[in-house]
Amino acid sequence: MSEIWWAAQVGYPPLATLQWLPLAGGLLLLVMREDDLALVLGRLFAVGELVVAIDLYARIDVSTGVLQFAERLDLFAYHAAADGVSMLFILLAALLGVLLSFYGMARQQISPVQLLSLLLIIESAQMTMLTTMNLLWFAGASAVQLVVVGYLLWRWASAREENLALSRFLQYQVFGWALLVAGAVVLAWSHADVIGGRWSFDLFDLLRTPQIGKYQSAAFYLLFYGLAIRTPLFPLHGWLPNSAGYGLIAVGPVLLLGVKVGIYGMARFLLPLTAEAVIIWQPYVVAFAMVGVFFAAVMAFRQANLRRLMAFAVVSHTSLIVIGLFTLHPAGLQGALLLAVNFGLAITVMLLMVGYVYRRTGTTSLDRLGGLFDRIPFITVAFLIGGLALLGMPGTPGFDAVHLVLEASIETFGALPTIATALGNVAAAGFLLWAFQRAFLAPRPRDLPAARIAPTSAMEYFVGGATLLVLLAAGFYPEPWLRLTDSATQSLAAYFPHG
Amino acid sequence: MAEASTWPLLSLLLVLPLAGALASALLRRPPWAQRIALGSAGLTLFCSLLVVYAFDAGDPEFQLLESAPWIPGLNIRYLVGIDGISVLFLPATALLFCGAVVAGWRVSATASPLAPGLYFALLLLLEAATLGVFCALDTILFFCFWEFTLLPLYFLVSLWGLGAARQRAAVRYFLVMLAGGVPLLFGLLGLAFGSTGGGVPVFDLPTLLVTPLPERSQYLIFLLLLLGFGVKVPLVPLHTWLPSMAMGAPAAITALLVGLKLGAYGLIRFAIPLAPLAARDLHWLLAGFGTVAILYGGVAALTHSNLRGMLAYSSLAHVGLVLLGLASFSVYGLQGALLQLLNFSVAAGGGFLVLSFLQRRIGSTDITQLGGALHSMPRLSGFFLFFGLAGIGLPGTSGFPGELLIIVTALHDHTGAGLAALFGMVLATAAFLSPFRLAFFGPEKRPAMAAAEDLLPREMAVLLPPSLLILTVGIHPLPILDLLRPTAEAWVAALAGL
Repeated sequence: MSEIWWAAQVGYPPLATLQWLPLAGGLLLLVMREDDLALVLGRLFAVGELVVAIDLYARIDVSTGVLQFAERLDLFAYHAAADGVSMLFILLAALLGVLLSFYGMARQQISPVQLLSLLLIIESAQMTMLTTMNLLWFAGASAVQLVVVGYLLWRWASAREENLALSRFLQYQVFGWALLVAGAVVLAWSHADVIGGRWSFDLFDLLRTPQIGKYQSAAFYLLFYGLAIRTPLFPLHGWLPNSAGYGLIAVGPVLLLGVKVGIYGMARFLLPLTAEAVIIWQPYVVAFAMVGVFFAAVMAFRQANLRRLMAFAVVSHTSLIVIGLFTLHPAGLQGALLLAVNFGLAITVMLLMVGYVYRRTGTTSLDRLGGLFDRIPFITVAFLIGGLALLGMPGTPGFDAVHLVLEASIETFGALPTIATALGNVAAAGFLLWAFQRAFLAPRPRDLPAARIAPTSAMEYFVGGATLLVLLAAGFYPEPWLRLTDSATQSLAAYFPHG
Repeated sequence: MAEASTWPLLSLLLVLPLAGALASALLRRPPWAQRIALGSAGLTLFCSLLVVYAFDAGDPEFQLLESAPWIPGLNIRYLVGIDGISVLFLPATALLFCGAVVAGWRVSATASPLAPGLYFALLLLLEAATLGVFCALDTILFFCFWEFTLLPLYFLVSLWGLGAARQRAAVRYFLVMLAGGVPLLFGLLGLAFGSTGGGVPVFDLPTLLVTPLPERSQYLIFLLLLLGFGVKVPLVPLHTWLPSMAMGAPAAITALLVGLKLGAYGLIRFAIPLAPLAARDLHWLLAGFGTVAILYGGVAALTHSNLRGMLAYSSLAHVGLVLLGLASFSVYGLQGALLQLLNFSVAAGGGFLVLSFLQRRIGSTDITQLGGALHSMPRLSGFFLFFGLAGIGLPGTSGFPGELLIIVTALHDHTGAGLAALFGMVLATAAFLSPFRLAFFGPEKRPAMAAAEDLLPREMAVLLPPSLLILTVGIHPLPILDLLRPTAEAWVAALAGL
């Protein structure tokens, strides 16, 4: 495995900047007072991060699958690098950071500056996860992110059931994190065994050692389940509906679901490091994922709360991503990663719009919503387009991604299971649409007077409009994203020579 | 293949309604939104006539081609063009949408005070997507347009539909169509990959038409496409969305749903020529579906007490006739099928427009609520009778030549099915005339009937062009048949040459 040093491409260490800029901003805001200056400053940091990410995108060399912008600091085992796939996720994370920094502020009942500073710290941890080449760093950043999100859930829960949500969240995540670390330890240990004493968690070192048969399945399972809980993948999704149903309306779920670090971690670490085990266990993973598509669709049907329904739609779609990933086919890998980003963006739009609805109605229960279209048409349409992107409708980035995944899936697993999966996906989307109908188009219930639903504000237009713009632009012109991820996924697929 | 056209006529055709949609959505004042919408629908009609004018009838190849890379990474192109099969669908569509805009003249303003232009914007969006379906020659582009038709329809029905069941009908339609999109997409993907043997996927139709598929995969792809298009046609076991949509959608939208036979077009354009061996082998399947649809549609129309439901079911019978014509794979059969499709989009579209005018006056199209409409609204009744007779295929109307061609070829190739089709025509006549008698003749049951005003000048203006078209084509069908012949011959030759 080779890499290109950062100095050969950029005048400043870009990946370190990506990680330090939001961290510095977050820490600065923590010590500042709650005032407008701090707010403006926080947003500036978020926008600055997006600018750095875009600059990086402009400089990345998409013609090669080699890792680029590499930085190393051996003392701390710090090793960061990026390729087309990480670039895609970095752009998404930076974009979501900006959106959330503008979204969260309109809420009156919480201290916006503190929320903003935590957002920036989480963004920094996300950037570390997306750029690091070291499993231990990945796990560490993951821990930071989980702790801060857990704090958010605890501090600003929107309902009484917060404790249940929080404890479920912690149980699952701590367990998943422990599995992840255990998997990393198994890999490093076997590496030390072969090399003779020196431990390393670095992706490059681990890949250099010959792969060891008997530990590999163990490492695969530990890492896979550790990441699957984060993702979340059926049947390990138990924390999501609760925290989505009771926690912070939009910010918390977006932080957990917007950037699918679980999927990214699978593509970056799990697939190359345990390639042989992946091939052995591929049928089981895919079978579970196919069941997951249907299970979640059925569960989505039974929900009476918009937020819980969306949570199950996420589980259903995540299963589709995992199917794409485990086709181990270049097109499937590319489709799955594009799909992960698309779903992240789509679910973000929907969650933010549901958050706006909640600000007006004080509920997300489907029985108590209705007739919103007349009052807030823009929010309605934005929510719908997000839902259509989840569905893989043409004109959204989901379409090309889904069709890549399906192509690869037909080739690998045959037509029938693929068609069944696609229909399951349509079913999950159908329930989302049904919920949309009930919440936005059905007659307004009597206890929800029209006057209470304030018209869309300028900030809401901005946040919704920006997301929609990105979604539709990427949908109608997906070429740059295909080109960005092409060589990176090719080199990932090279670990799995195809029949 | 003809060389690329110098003037992007087809793109203009697609952009015009889009621009109109944008303008009417942004306008705050309802009258202006209406005028803009009618203006852009009229311009689109004009542009579609230009396309027909520019079309070279002697050339069976695709014409007015426009091509631009869209997603080069996947070899997907923006490729539009027309041939004899699709060229006449463009003005028919544009005409129907002009009518729909006028029919929505006051409907739009009453239902949603918030966005007066929205109704027209969605209508024009639907028009752009429909025209795109007829023009697209890249299978993925086609699929995109195909799916784009769903969203405006969904909103049009659920916001401006009739009755409490409209939202359920809209969701059902959307989901059924999405589910139908799955086999369709798989069929198109299978085509794209099947014809290269694992290399770069091919999505453009002209290339696909000249690269034969291996025989084994043809069956799978033909059945997938048949299923995907069959939902839209609708073939009889897949038609469950139709009655609820016909009753729930605004009448003008029903005109579009029923009048525009996108599904049958898809079969003619994609399913049959791209999997010719399978199609020829499974001709009995097409003929069988056709016969079942003719008989079932006739009987169901006979039992329906609502004029809209009656028209919707008789459309089922008509499209069955089209399938029967296709199943013979002969020039006459295809010409008849195309003519029948075009006739039906004009006749059924016109009929539904008349019903939408009636609905606006009386508030219902149920036979039990009507009766004696002839006295207060002679012109309206006359137009409805005329469109109905054209739908039945009375000699002298445009329905006749198409039906004659189909029945003659069907009697020749599938004698049993042809006889059933003849019987089905009798059924269709009864299904139209008996409710017509109940609804329009007889005493006036309700005072509202006596007070209702007859057609307004602008409504007459909308109904006249299709009526004239029906008469002209009915009396002198030769120009249209000549326009269709070269492509039809090429289509049949490609099938026969295997």
